[in-house]
Amino acid sequence: MVTAAGKPGVALGDDVARAVWDALATVHDPEIPPCAITDLGIVERVDVGDGHVDVELLPTFAGCPALDVIREDAEAAVRDVVPGLEVRVRFVYSTPWTSDRITEDGRKALQGYGITPPPRRVVGERVFVPLASLGRVERGVECPFCGSLDTVLESAFGPTLCRSTHFCRSCRNPFEGFKPKSN
Amino acid sequence: MLLFALADDELILGHRHSEWTGWAPHIEEDLAFSSIAQDEMAHARLLYGLAKGLTGKDEDELALGRSSQEYRNAWICERPNRDWGYTLARQYLYDTADAVRLDALSSSSWRELADLTEVIRLEEKYHLDHARAWLERLGEGPVTARQRLADGLASALGEALAVFEPIPGEDRLVSDGVLPRSSEELLGEWLATVGSDLEAASLDFVLAEHAPRTGEMVPTSTGEIEEQEPFASPGVVRRDGRWVHEGAFVGAGGRGGRHSDDFLPLWDEMTRLYREHRGATW
Repeated sequence: MVTAAGKPGVALGDDVARAVWDALATVHDPEIPPCAITDLGIVERVDVGDGHVDVELLPTFAGCPALDVIREDAEAAVRDVVPGLEVRVRFVYSTPWTSDRITEDGRKALQGYGITPPPRRVVGERVFVPLASLGRVERGVECPFCGSLDTVLESAFGPTLCRSTHFCRSCRNPFEGFKPKSN
Repeated sequence: MLLFALADDELILGHRHSEWTGWAPHIEEDLAFSSIAQDEMAHARLLYGLAKGLTGKDEDELALGRSSQEYRNAWICERPNRDWGYTLARQYLYDTADAVRLDALSSSSWRELADLTEVIRLEEKYHLDHARAWLERLGEGPVTARQRLADGLASALGEALAVFEPIPGEDRLVSDGVLPRSSEELLGEWLATVGSDLEAASLDFVLAEHAPRTGEMVPTSTGEIEEQEPFASPGVVRRDGRWVHEGAFVGAGGRGGRHSDDFLPLWDEMTRLYREHRGATW
């Protein structure tokens, strides 16, 4: 086994893979700038092979126009850390992305950006999907500004496919939520 | 043919939905229909991507580079938006039909198709929620809203049934497990869903009024009463507690590439840029 100097037992391929993951962690969703794509949970696989690096990404929503930007940014970031290797980044559909893949850091980044993270999935319980029905509040989504649950859903379809719009009756701010997507 | 039926339905209805952009009654619905259109077109793109392996043509070429007779969408998808009641009635009928179809395809023996179906289903949940929320809201009144919804349902229902018009070569798709359940079985499942939704909204009279009409008793010129030749007016009837479809389909032919007069203007507009500037990029 070829090992990297100073790190006995770690294959060179593993070091490259780690560098690729680190590079991917610097790529951000252009529509949610504080959130790294690794925290959104869209990096499905990194495969370091002979002379090439393959990265597989899962789209959050299939019709998201930011996908091409993310792919190009990811390709450029990875290329920088593995000079000489062929870099291929592509979106795959073998597994659906779900909002449960967003990491704790990702949730904090969303919250800090004024977007309520999707509700956490409880095993055995169905994920709550907001309904845009007037006069019927099933359960308030937490306001990212004041933390109140006294909020109403304005529309399940927000400025991007992955966001819904809400209004907080407590601090009287409009805000957005990241849409839950789960089986 | 199965892929074209699925993808063309999504593309063509997506195109109609997109016509609401900027014109919907309020901004939330503007966003809703724009987002749903964006989703449907993305789903069509995924399915055309799968067809690429079979046809050698890429997504753009399949979506925009075919002649009008090569599209296999159901007629319900190509009809103009008419009014808000028809738009919502159609969205409800189509998306519930699509859900039944996707549910079956998620266990397709064609692995790639089953995988795509899983991705699509998670996004379609939001379309179903939208459709059901409006069905409930308009169904509860006021009277004009309820009447418009009922009118929309009545005029869309016949052609919505034809979403389940059998696909050419379907027997083989079913025996190979690519299409795990036949169109006829799927139609039965869909009618059960629609039946219970409309009963809950007290709108099931729309189904009852869609009964097939056959064999009317008419007087002849000599004054005798005789049964006229039964003419095939298709419809749904309630039998043994279930709604069943009888007779031919209204607006049939979409799966074979035959379309209504509404299709050509849509096709012309949708594909014009592609046809006039082949290979253009921006």
